[in-house]
Amino acid sequence: MPAKDIDFMDVDSDSDISLPAEETSRSKGKGKGKAVAKPKKTKGKGKANEQAYTWEASYTRSWDTVQEDAGGNLQGAVEDWMARDRRRRLLAPAGAIRRTIIRHLILLLDLSSSMMDRDMRPTRFDLTLQYAREFITEWFDQNPLGQIGVVGMRAGIGERIGEMSGNPQDILRAIADRHKLEPIGEPSLQNAIEMARSTMSHLPTHSSREILIIFGSLTTCDPGNIHDTLDDCVKNRIRISVVALAAEMKICRELCDKTGGQFGVAMNEGHFKDLMFELVPPPAQNTLSRTPGAGAVNPAADLMMMGFPTRLPDTSPPSLCVCHSELKSEGFLCPRCLAKVCDVPTDCDICGLMIVSSPHLARSYHHLFPVKPYEAVTALVDVSDSTSACHACARILPTTQSTSTAAEGISPFGRYRCPDCHNDFCTECDVFVHDVVHCCPGCGK
Amino acid sequence: MPTRTADTTSNAAIESSPHALLPFLQSQSQNTLTRLYQRPSSCLSIFRLLASLERQIVMNLLWLESSIAVATMAAWVHRDHKKLYDSALAILSRLHILPNSAVKLGLNSTFKSSLRQAITGGGTSGSFGVPSQKDDRSSWPDVKTLDGYALERWETILHYMVSSGTGQQPTKPSQDVLYLLQRSQLMTNVRGSALQITSAGFQFLLHSPHAQLWDLLLEYLHMAEERRMDVVEVLSFLFMLSTMELGMEYSTENLSQTQQAMLVDLRDYGLVWQREPSSQRFSPTRLATTLTSSSPPLPTSTGTGAGAQVQGFIVLETNYRIYAYTDNPLQTAVLNLFVSLKYRFPNLVVGSITRESVKKALENGISAEQIISYLTTHAHPQMHKNVCLLHICISQH
Amino acid sequence: MDNASHLSVIVDLSPTQWHLSSQSDNTHPLSLKDFLSQLLAFLNMHIASKHENTLAVFGAFPGKSVMLYSSTDPLQHNRTIDANSYPPFRVVDYSVMQHIMEEIDALGEPEDEVPCALVGAVTKALCYINRISHPSTSSNPADNPAVLPDPRMLILSVSPDLSTSYIPIMNSIFSAQKLKVTIDVCKIYGPDTVFLQQAAHLTGGSYIYLERRDALLQYLIMSHLPPPSIRNVLSVPTQDRIDFRAACFCHKDIIDIGFVCSVCLSIFCKPVPVCTTCRTKFPMKTLQRLNASRPPQTLTPVNGSTVANGSAIGTPRSAGTPMAASLR
Repeated sequence: MPAKDIDFMDVDSDSDISLPAEETSRSKGKGKGKAVAKPKKTKGKGKANEQAYTWEASYTRSWDTVQEDAGGNLQGAVEDWMARDRRRRLLAPAGAIRRTIIRHLILLLDLSSSMMDRDMRPTRFDLTLQYAREFITEWFDQNPLGQIGVVGMRAGIGERIGEMSGNPQDILRAIADRHKLEPIGEPSLQNAIEMARSTMSHLPTHSSREILIIFGSLTTCDPGNIHDTLDDCVKNRIRISVVALAAEMKICRELCDKTGGQFGVAMNEGHFKDLMFELVPPPAQNTLSRTPGAGAVNPAADLMMMGFPTRLPDTSPPSLCVCHSELKSEGFLCPRCLAKVCDVPTDCDICGLMIVSSPHLARSYHHLFPVKPYEAVTALVDVSDSTSACHACARILPTTQSTSTAAEGISPFGRYRCPDCHNDFCTECDVFVHDVVHCCPGCGK
Repeated sequence: MPTRTADTTSNAAIESSPHALLPFLQSQSQNTLTRLYQRPSSCLSIFRLLASLERQIVMNLLWLESSIAVATMAAWVHRDHKKLYDSALAILSRLHILPNSAVKLGLNSTFKSSLRQAITGGGTSGSFGVPSQKDDRSSWPDVKTLDGYALERWETILHYMVSSGTGQQPTKPSQDVLYLLQRSQLMTNVRGSALQITSAGFQFLLHSPHAQLWDLLLEYLHMAEERRMDVVEVLSFLFMLSTMELGMEYSTENLSQTQQAMLVDLRDYGLVWQREPSSQRFSPTRLATTLTSSSPPLPTSTGTGAGAQVQGFIVLETNYRIYAYTDNPLQTAVLNLFVSLKYRFPNLVVGSITRESVKKALENGISAEQIISYLTTHAHPQMHKNVCLLHICISQH
Repeated sequence: MDNASHLSVIVDLSPTQWHLSSQSDNTHPLSLKDFLSQLLAFLNMHIASKHENTLAVFGAFPGKSVMLYSSTDPLQHNRTIDANSYPPFRVVDYSVMQHIMEEIDALGEPEDEVPCALVGAVTKALCYINRISHPSTSSNPADNPAVLPDPRMLILSVSPDLSTSYIPIMNSIFSAQKLKVTIDVCKIYGPDTVFLQQAAHLTGGSYIYLERRDALLQYLIMSHLPPPSIRNVLSVPTQDRIDFRAACFCHKDIIDIGFVCSVCLSIFCKPVPVCTTCRTKFPMKTLQRLNASRPPQTLTPVNGSTVANGSAIGTPRSAGTPMAASLR
């Protein structure tokens, strides 16, 4: 029976004492987190002396930024705000960061009784499951070569819920039945992390090893010293990220800081989702030598052997597949052992060869060759009549300035220009091109 | 500002079943239909009234010079949907578009050449309406005027119907319209004096405007037959209207005698706008140009309200209290058929559905399904889930 | 079942290819003029099918893509109405022809023809579909059509594959999948394009190689006009034999088992010490391990003969050092 210790619960964590620590740790985080936090932070600092809690800072006088338009309407201001929010994400540095394409992630779900708390609707547990499903779908969409496993923490032990798999359907099936996952007892971070670590210990170095913990409890009930586990994780280059649903715990913060992960406390349902989905895009590789072209041996770079399978047409004679032992006619043949598998990408069940189809590889290319960010057009002096409409969707671009004040990177005309082909795009196409299409309609690349 | 937003929900009901006009067409003789098919605009309109599968079959055969073997065509049909395909063929053959044959499939040659002409343009039939010469004296009517006119005409008719029993005296539609309403048994002449709405009339009120329009026009067609008007002339005029462009003026010169007479009637229904009764020109309204489509035939259902009304305006609570964001007397009156109204504010009507109010509606011949479908089609976008609850209540009766 | 549908047509208007296509030594020569008249008939039929159907036409010209017509913002031209034709048809015909004429007149000398901006046209179509299927709150609500249940895209291609456009094309395909856009492809002239075959396959569309080019319109109607709901009943030809194997970056050979750089995902047919794309050096240990674990040569014939698509080229190549391959 493991001794129950309330592990470094930092009750004061959200008072202003932790403010400097929080600020620095945030600015260390790359890209998105920084860009999002920035405008809020500057506001908060000016008032920091009269505020007791940091979370209040982000709510400071948000009504001041909303302005009515001439007709007393808030519509315009709100839309403007939303457009700006979407755009802000694109301002993240889009330089030549090396990203890990082959990812391995263990999703650690807290299934302790604290997950039945109803502070998030309908319950923390239901919401977590729902977001986990969306997360998995989105994650596989962006990381087609990655694999996810699911581990639950319940009744003081770690519990393997879904094996590491590259097939989203398998994972989704594993967490589909909510009755099998009914929360009970105390969580144990150490047990669960150890289990996740052992699952990933054999993985090759070129792939990332990540753990995402959804943690609702304020306690952990561990059999040994969790700091040893933490050290092992650091040694194994496992990156731990935590989304806490209740409050910040020192051990959670430490797990993330030491392993280079992200830590966040969900303020509400929407924020919870945002925190999770921040982990969807592939992380930048955290190797120390950042000199591209120098040819330094990159420990994270490796050559992988992959098999490109032959797809059997629907009309071929049915045969048994090696993964489910079902009789079906369509499927893919492993090029090495000629075993028939149902779905790719996967590792061949017989010979262990990684089987992918070329579209899966292509799906990851956009991380490597991103579209250059468009520049915001701030003055209409160089705009000719011919470019009165969005180059992509032919929407007529406004020629009058919108009422609200312009922020950096936001065009007051809702007009954004590609630095290569010098065509103008509307706000929506700007976001759509960078988020979804990953290909500029003007230059065609 | 009128919008062209197609309210898909309100038309879901009529789309699932074949169009109301098709049975009428099927009852016509082959001779009549062949004469009708001589006009490209009629072919195009009838083509649009068909279901999508039937349309595709017609398309597949349209550009083939010779007919093809039945088996060849059947090879394209998915095994599970053979029934659908067969019934589509049956409908086409009853319309004499695709003569029934066990060996070869080929379109009716008149239909084929007319539809081809409709699609490629050209020819000299003038079936899409001869536009009037623009003169300096008067500009073309703008779309807003036309919409306003159509709405005013149409709501006059409906409002007259709905308030006939209540003792109010709304503006009366013209005599011809009254005759048509009476003939179609939507209203009856009780006690020899005033017209009284019938149960069929109540049901009629709850239909979508599109269905209402076709109901009346079908009745008009039957009446035309009795008046010894040429059905082909009547139909082709209607179809011509439906392919015309909103906001244009057309000349009456090329219209036949029958069609000139129809112009007067259609003006009363709000399908056609004329500057003055004797004018040599006419403009179709939105009611007319959307005859063969499922987009809403009326710009917005409110008389004076803003354009935000396209979505639906009724909010129904689980305690059967109903909030209708409307200032339209017609909608209020229709709601009054099955809701006991409590308060009335400038843009909001509050009432509740009670056992008594529903009973009253049932006595009027309105069925529970109709109430539900009316509520569903006009429901505020945020409240579709309560309708099932309502169903339980009404099923009790 | 009977919903309005949106169709975006992308027309490949490469002058060179159309010139080749109209040569009389083809079995069925098809000139641009004949093609356009059949295309217009097809477009009209799409509009004719339903009043609410929407249409957009994009042209891919050399180095440039242009929106030729869209039903949400039609051109304001003089509204002459002809008693013999349906007004919307005239607007489409006029607008499409007018734009094509303008662009062809503006084209430069035929000698220095750059490849067609097919990718640009496809991405524009995607942006347009995105725009109309997610009517933004900011735009005037009057120009929002109904929510589109099944947007489709039809690519009429005459140009061959462009290897540089592989990544953008694939990116477009994935975004089309995301938007649930079906991509149909009709290959009118030239060899089969593998990229577009994949596009059609991955989005559930149909890929047609036009064999009888004199029957273009009939092909278009039978296989590209029906909206997805009808395709359940009247089947539409689909391609079943699409090769999803990859070609290596060094020899462009189709390979069964390849070696992939973990940083940039370049594919090589044999273990190489340095990635030719991103210049990453790979550890020696991996090279030795992979060399050892490569399938033995004797397996290859068995492999090649069992594979259904007979085009399999065995992985091994006798000569050619990896370093030589890297200096391409």
